[in-house]
Amino acid sequence: MVAAAFVAWLGAALVVLADGRRGQALGLALLTAALAVLAWPAGMAFGAVAIAIGGLVAAARCWRSGPPTWAIMPAGSTPRLVLCIASGLLALWVAASLTTGTGAPLRFTVLVVVGLMGARIQMSREAPVVMTAIAAFALALGVAPGLAPTAPGPVAAIVGALIAGGVMFVAAGRARLAPSSAEKDGA
Amino acid sequence: MEPELLLAAAAALGLAVAFAPPRVPRASLLIWGLLGLAGMAAIALAPTLDLVILILLVLAVLQARLTSHRDFVTRLRAPILAVALLAVGLAFERMQGPVVLERFGAVGIVAGLVAAIGLLPYAHEFDAQESVVASPIPWIAFVGPLLAATVMTHARQVIPADAGDAFGAMLIGLGLLNMLGGSLGSWRTAGDASAWRYSFMADWGLAMCGFGLAIADGRAAALIMLFSIVLGRLPLYLWSRQALREKVPTDRPINLVVAAVLAGSAPFAGFPARVLLLRGATQLYWPLALVLAAGMLLWLPGALRLGRSMGVPRGRQAVGVAIVLALNVLLGVYPQPLLTLAGL
Repeated sequence: MVAAAFVAWLGAALVVLADGRRGQALGLALLTAALAVLAWPAGMAFGAVAIAIGGLVAAARCWRSGPPTWAIMPAGSTPRLVLCIASGLLALWVAASLTTGTGAPLRFTVLVVVGLMGARIQMSREAPVVMTAIAAFALALGVAPGLAPTAPGPVAAIVGALIAGGVMFVAAGRARLAPSSAEKDGA
Repeated sequence: MEPELLLAAAAALGLAVAFAPPRVPRASLLIWGLLGLAGMAAIALAPTLDLVILILLVLAVLQARLTSHRDFVTRLRAPILAVALLAVGLAFERMQGPVVLERFGAVGIVAGLVAAIGLLPYAHEFDAQESVVASPIPWIAFVGPLLAATVMTHARQVIPADAGDAFGAMLIGLGLLNMLGGSLGSWRTAGDASAWRYSFMADWGLAMCGFGLAIADGRAAALIMLFSIVLGRLPLYLWSRQALREKVPTDRPINLVVAAVLAGSAPFAGFPARVLLLRGATQLYWPLALVLAAGMLLWLPGALRLGRSMGVPRGRQAVGVAIVLALNVLLGVYPQPLLTLAGL
């Protein structure tokens, strides 16, 4: 489980550090595998399968769309690297030291993935990058109910997986420069 | 509380479509409104807060992909921040650890809710020229009320008693901030469209204070306030947009009546909400009632300004305004049936 948590952090860090579609797809695939492994013992066996399918569909879609580059850690990505390391250490402190009980790897994973993907979306300007981060975000939200003391059921994991798979097929809305239809659009 | 707010949102959509000004594309308004209603129904039916957060994510992505002046990524930022804060807050509530972690969780849930609705200090970027469906208005006036009621219901179940005080204090603190910021903003800001947006924030401030009081009077005040946002302020804003573009302030009697609705004066819906809120605050901590009463006086200048910006409603719009005024009088004079329906 500890290894899965580390792989989840690595996958999330790759999504943050990569600007190319291949680097992002690899990060998403790693994250998917780790989340599926972590969800299984948290009482979400069926949910783990759904997470695996949804995440892999999203990773495959990410691999096939956009310019075919890796672009891992391009010039100027030092702040992002610092963010990945610092958020990993903070989540590790909260999950392993500040909190008690079983399931520390899942606690670490949920905190670090939600934090890193939230930051990735706030700092990005490219729609495909944001879509990949949203897919990873949805997967993490799908396994988050595993933190509850009672068995959560697979519904959230299935919904998270559907969002992760589906969001990669959504076309981003275009920005409009001239207020053409707004002139007549009271709605 | 959720079914009533869903019905109110459906009624507001019906009013907005049926009595829309001639140049408004009704089909588009209806389609996106129905999509929003479907999302709201899913939020109301969701058995856990996790599912509510996931549905919120879907709604944010769907709204952001609409064509707009602002780009896709910019429009997603605030809702994604909301989803992240809600998710981290909920995760903290589920972890076994010190009480301070539970309090941080409560803070995260309130901050996430405020960010989702678009209130201070997480106000969404606003462009007066943007169409309503693509703007932050659906979050603050259409989806937001039901979302807030649902999050409150689920949050009370997951937040332990130890952190309940922090939860209530955060709601009241941010409520006061929005009340003051919103009412001052709707009075002093340069653009009339922005003034309308600030006025929504001010009303939300009262609703949040009501939720934060955590007693029956507070919750009743919050419900009536949310109803007055959905069935009062929202349709009036939609019908004022044409006059806002023409920038012709008018001083007819109808503008004064609209100003009275927006200011929450008797006999309109905002009045019983204010009375209940003051009564609840007096029961809990009387200096809070004093602050609320002083803050409520700030509604008047902004409401007069917004009433003037409405123009003179004609044709279908006049019928729509008359229906909204009648609904608000009904809610203001006799709110008990609504409160009974909501179990308050």
